[in-house]
Amino acid sequence: MNTGLEKQRNILDYGLMSLWRRKTKNLSVLLVFALVIFLMSSFQFLTGALTDVAQQSLRLAPEITVQKMVAGRQEQIPISYGDKLQEIFGIRRVEPRVWGYHFSTTTGGNITMLGVSSFDPRLETALLHGRLPSGSSAGEVVLGQGVVRDLDLKGRRKFSFFRPELTQKTFTVTGEFKPESELLTADLMVMSIADSRDFFHISETYATDLLVTVANPAEIETIARKIAELLPDTRVVTRPQILKTYNAVFGWRSGFGSVCLLTGLAAFIILAWDKASGMTPEEKREIGILKLLGWQTSDVLAVRFYESFAVSFLALLLGCTLGYVHIAFFDGALFRPVMFGWSVITPHLHLVPVVRFGDVLLVICFTVLPYLAVTIIPAWRAASVPPDSAMR
Amino acid sequence: MMISIQNVYKTYNQGLTNEVAALRDINLDVQRNEVICLKGPSGSGKSTLLSIIGCVFPPTSGAAQVAGKKLSRLPDRFLTIHRREYIGFIFQQFNLLPQLTVLDNVMLPLMVFGYPPEIRCEKAVALLERLGVEHRRHFVVSQISGGELQRVAIARALINDPPIILADEPTAHLDQKLSERFLSFMEEFKQEGKTIVMTSHDPLVVEHPCVDRVVEMMDGRTRSSCS
Ligand SMILES: Nc1ncnc2c1ncn2[C@@H]1O[C@H](COP(=O)(O)OP(=O)(O)OP(=O)(O)O)[C@@H](O)[C@H]1O
Ligand SMILES: [Mg+2]
Repeated sequence: MNTGLEKQRNILDYGLMSLWRRKTKNLSVLLVFALVIFLMSSFQFLTGALTDVAQQSLRLAPEITVQKMVAGRQEQIPISYGDKLQEIFGIRRVEPRVWGYHFSTTTGGNITMLGVSSFDPRLETALLHGRLPSGSSAGEVVLGQGVVRDLDLKGRRKFSFFRPELTQKTFTVTGEFKPESELLTADLMVMSIADSRDFFHISETYATDLLVTVANPAEIETIARKIAELLPDTRVVTRPQILKTYNAVFGWRSGFGSVCLLTGLAAFIILAWDKASGMTPEEKREIGILKLLGWQTSDVLAVRFYESFAVSFLALLLGCTLGYVHIAFFDGALFRPVMFGWSVITPHLHLVPVVRFGDVLLVICFTVLPYLAVTIIPAWRAASVPPDSAMR
Repeated sequence: MMISIQNVYKTYNQGLTNEVAALRDINLDVQRNEVICLKGPSGSGKSTLLSIIGCVFPPTSGAAQVAGKKLSRLPDRFLTIHRREYIGFIFQQFNLLPQLTVLDNVMLPLMVFGYPPEIRCEKAVALLERLGVEHRRHFVVSQISGGELQRVAIARALINDPPIILADEPTAHLDQKLSERFLSFMEEFKQEGKTIVMTSHDPLVVEHPCVDRVVEMMDGRTRSSCS
């Protein structure tokens, strides 16, 4: 028989027994603790999800977009502008896009109908299923999840829209974008440029804007400046600017700060509430009695450790599960007011929580470790003095 | 010699403003199977001396030897190991854990020895039977009477079968009948060869026939006299 192991089992038994003895107190600690972990893990999972969304968006966003501005408004840009751009060294490709909004009478929202002259193969990876439209004017489209919800096709692949002058055009769905890319694709209906020209009646000599691909991504800003100099009546938007805009809109930096602070504060309050006064006289006496009966300091601490570990492990499990559910099934509803902005922009944005080991570790560092410390350190102090006080 | 105390001093809070010299130059030898009673006014150092014999803390200076082991300067860890093998404590307030059952309380000292639950339980039940409180084994300690509490406390002190039993004011909270029964238990243990050191002012204890020797204490010093 392994007495060391048997002894640990006995101590574990004792620890669980004393948890049970103080069940109301421990249950309340567990609940508050789980709440803190819930808030913090929700936040971590949410940030993870949003970071993913942003990265997806960034990946799909064009490097440089050139728009023609007249009186501060965007106008159609002549295709000839694209030819002028060929003079700038470092530009690999200039492609026209034709896009516009279609007002959906059923939902009262706008659908962005985007026609491109060639499909970036990277777009393929953003597809949930199906394929990209062919380049013809056959009316093939790929839909974002928001549009899928709006149209409510129930599995049908064909639907039709009225053109601005009230003739009908029929479209065929060839695929859908992943929910993860929804920030960028929710209201999107992507088609060939021929289809969008046909739908919006835009002639071959004009486009809505021009996409510029550069040879060296490090030169995006330089080339954008050159374009702006060459074509003074245009606005030039770059990918890094788009990302900055997203970041500003999410405000997740400040959001992260405030929620962390709140969580930390909440954690501090429960710990203080539970332990700041040190241990109760009964707890100190119990430690003294155990020591008088021949328990080593390390045995007493092991009891404490098992107790605290059980509570914090349960709280961690409960809190993280709830956090995951909160993000996956309620789209982080509690944090919407904190993450100012993004709910207004994409009210349907469906989040896929991202559980990263590092995030869970961070949660553990901010909650479980401090809890273990504040429960074990006072016990250690009480257990490392001679137990003579228990004799009186 | 079971217990040998020579020129022992114990000073609480040494070097601080609340320094107390609780024991000053104590000399005391206790033979195997001897029953000693420490007597003296409150604050004379009886409990302190009992703590040193019970390996609760080492003396500030002087030589203390208990069951063949020199205690002076022994670290807490080793005092604990020695204590749990050689010493059984009975306290004035019994010092049972109030929310545990009788059985769990009695088994407490066995847990750190690595006995599996069945053996712990077997030993504890046998002892509770002997002391006549076996029928209360599943009762929570806060729900049993004073006399039963004391027998549970005795059972816990004996569970490791220690050669030395220390009892600090064991009858202070008991009526005469219970005190007498306690002393008859001590008499039994003496018959079994245990060495017993008690502290008491109670004449019932001091004058009991099982007590071999009364040691009087005053201001941290001893004055031996035969009973
Ligand atoms: N932990 C301690 N810290 C400081 N002083 C202490 C401590 N324990 C005891 N003393 C002091 O040491 C002296 C001896 O105390 P002790 O408890 O040994 O006396 P006693 O003879 O057992 O008294 P009583 O009959 O009241 O139990 C007293 O003056 C007491 O105040
Ligand atoms: Mg005393």
